[in-house]
Amino acid sequence: MTDLILQAVYSGLLQGGSYALIALGLALVFGAMNVINLAHGELVLLAAYIAYTVESQLGWNPLAAIPAAVIIVTITSSLLYFLVSRVTVHREINSLTLTFGVGVILTNLVLMIWSADVRTTSSTWMQEAFIVGELYSMRSEVLFFGVSLVLIVALWWWLSRSWYGRAVRAVSSNRDAAKLMGINPGRTELVSFIVAGILAAFAGVALFSYGVVTPGYGSVLTVKAFIITVLAGLGSIPGVLIGAILLGVAESLTITLASSALQELAGMGLFLVVLFVMPNGLFGVARRRG
Amino acid sequence: MLQLENVTVRFGGLTAVNDVTLAVGTGDLVGLVGANGAGKTTLFNAISGLVRPTTGRILFNGADVLKAPMYQRARMGIGRTFQIPQPMHELTVRQNLEVAQRFGTGSVDKRRIDEILDFTNLAAKAGRDASSGLALTELKALEVAKALSTNPKLLLLDEVLAGLETSGKRNFMNMLKDLHAKFSVGILIIEHDIDTISNLCQRVAVLNFGGMIAEGTPAEVFNNPAVIKSYTGGEVDHA
Amino acid sequence: MKLNKLLIATLVATYLVVPFALGGNSYVMSLVIASLIIGGVALSWALLGNLGGMVSFGHAAFFGVGAYTSAVLTMQYNVPVFIGLMLGGVGAVLSAVLMLPVLRLRGPYFALAILAYAHIFRIVATEWTSVTNGAGGIARIPALPTVFDYNFGSHTGNYLVILTMVLLFAWAYDVIRRSPHGLALRAMHDSEDATRVVGVNNTLLKGLMLLVSAFMCGAVGAFNAHYINFLEPDYAFSAVWVTIPIVAAIFGGYRTITGPLIGAVVVYLVDQLFIKNFMPTGHQLVLGVVLVVMIIASPDGLLGMIRRALRKKHAAT
Repeated sequence: MTDLILQAVYSGLLQGGSYALIALGLALVFGAMNVINLAHGELVLLAAYIAYTVESQLGWNPLAAIPAAVIIVTITSSLLYFLVSRVTVHREINSLTLTFGVGVILTNLVLMIWSADVRTTSSTWMQEAFIVGELYSMRSEVLFFGVSLVLIVALWWWLSRSWYGRAVRAVSSNRDAAKLMGINPGRTELVSFIVAGILAAFAGVALFSYGVVTPGYGSVLTVKAFIITVLAGLGSIPGVLIGAILLGVAESLTITLASSALQELAGMGLFLVVLFVMPNGLFGVARRRG
Repeated sequence: MLQLENVTVRFGGLTAVNDVTLAVGTGDLVGLVGANGAGKTTLFNAISGLVRPTTGRILFNGADVLKAPMYQRARMGIGRTFQIPQPMHELTVRQNLEVAQRFGTGSVDKRRIDEILDFTNLAAKAGRDASSGLALTELKALEVAKALSTNPKLLLLDEVLAGLETSGKRNFMNMLKDLHAKFSVGILIIEHDIDTISNLCQRVAVLNFGGMIAEGTPAEVFNNPAVIKSYTGGEVDHA
Repeated sequence: MKLNKLLIATLVATYLVVPFALGGNSYVMSLVIASLIIGGVALSWALLGNLGGMVSFGHAAFFGVGAYTSAVLTMQYNVPVFIGLMLGGVGAVLSAVLMLPVLRLRGPYFALAILAYAHIFRIVATEWTSVTNGAGGIARIPALPTVFDYNFGSHTGNYLVILTMVLLFAWAYDVIRRSPHGLALRAMHDSEDATRVVGVNNTLLKGLMLLVSAFMCGAVGAFNAHYINFLEPDYAFSAVWVTIPIVAAIFGGYRTITGPLIGAVVVYLVDQLFIKNFMPTGHQLVLGVVLVVMIIASPDGLLGMIRRALRKKHAAT
């Protein structure tokens, strides 16, 4: 029994890495622009399907899809930014509806181009077993967990050291003051969208490499990312990582101990618990509720 | 009626209100003065419920007010105006008062609303949209009118005169004096203008850096050296 | 309510003329009924947005819960169908009660939380096979019955019922809007403190609006179940019940009461008659585009644009 649980925890941990990437992208844009990008999950989905195309049309390993995914997703993300920046009235709500609309467009584009069939990688290299002690995983899971950690550390470094990174933090805490210091909020926001796109691209390729994708999954991903940000609370990268791992583990345990169909419920349940018990998230800074 | 006991409000490292004890009786007209940032509005926020005191008690007619959320305090009889007028946009002036009355007292009394409109000189603008076409004086009058519509026993007025020019100020001051006489409410008023306060109030409390440094009649308080120092570091300036 | 000539004319047209003129054509009638269903959802969505100040992307939750509640009650407990419609609304209200704690979240967070709830309900419907028959769905759901010798199960009968429901909801919306509660709700948007300081319990009022919106949407969902006579989780909780009503409401102008209804008819008919012919799969894509364009060009919707254009013309002459 404990072996099963340990295995579940391990799998969930690995999954958590990619979830963290997705959640960070969402959190980054929200931090910079106060906009929740409801199309974020679809960006991840897009990357996953690009990986599928690379694999099925060119016969290459999905990893080779990463450059293409990054380029295409960041272009899409930038386009999304330009649309959102056009919203002038009631910014918060209207940009929400706008990104929702873009999400619908992307989901249906994916549906039209790639049909509703379930896709997953057929690369044996990716699926090959990678064993650590008694714990089993697919090579893809471990690989992308490592990739996620690297990206998260890089992101953390970038946010705290680079000029753009600090600008993002400045803009999110006080837009006008940031302007006075010579920071161009528009450009900073664009950068945050681009970085979110990069993270989404990696997450998408990861998702394709060890999971399954359908066109409808984009919306589910957005919700998961949102749940993680609620779990983590505002303003904490380590919090997001831990929240993501928590979600991954909770899902994994649910699959093992209950049934795989209830997997989604695990996240929702966690979300509700945190909402009622710890409204500021696990690591968040208290903020005034509207 | 209103009893503040050792009220302290701390925001993280900043102490905005420091151990303030103050009483306002029914029918009192008390002024609250102090330099900018002295904690006056924060004190109002604590009384009306926008902010929770870190320590201390606030009693209203014997009842512990801190247990009640903001909207309930209004129904208990604590009315409050905001320094920057917060009218109910999209609603007419009359509708503003109707909502205030309906939710602040539980019933609707059209005659009383007309009375208040007359009293605050808003009768002519009763049908106007509160978000457009009202001058600053009128917006401030609306603040008072809204608060009055809730049948308050205590009225907290936050810098109702700020930004008005001299004749506007005079009219408003007369209105405030009438208010006190006619509607028998206790008033706690924040103002910067020393002349106004001296004219209006029986008693004055002075805050500085969150703490109360003096309390007494206007004459006593404004000749108190500590008070003078807190304002200007030197001379008293009759604005 | 002002009974002016336009209103009377509309009522006559919809209750008498339409059945007479189109009653025979079942294809057209089914389009009209479907657009009214969308209109009902759009109306409930707009009510929550306008009065509650909350944008929800999860109204599919109410729709699905209402549908399943009524289907199960009428089929397993022999509840009369018309009662079932109302109980569908009640079921949706109960699901909304579960959502009340989410009210304290700010706009975008609330919208997403509701979306999460919608997913939850869909999963529950899929997994609770003993009650809902899971992914297989429920078939042969009873149609509206014959009452007073009139077969409400016919196309015209269904039409009259949904029409009445939607008009009743619109009327209720109007009543609430004009009441002091409605005024207070509208005032809350700009400043929560402006209303709280005069004794308005913001949270309570907003919560009530969520429940009202849920009831309306749930009742419409229940109607749909008895009209289509079939139900399965992915359909009942489909994003379609979110997307099209939102596009409809924004297109028609979500700030008014008639806006969402007109928008629903226009958007749905255009979608079914034109777009579906050009793009059978993913025709919703066009809806997404319309939504995006509308938000950027005119968040007040088409009617808003027209109204503004008329005002400019007025000012010029």
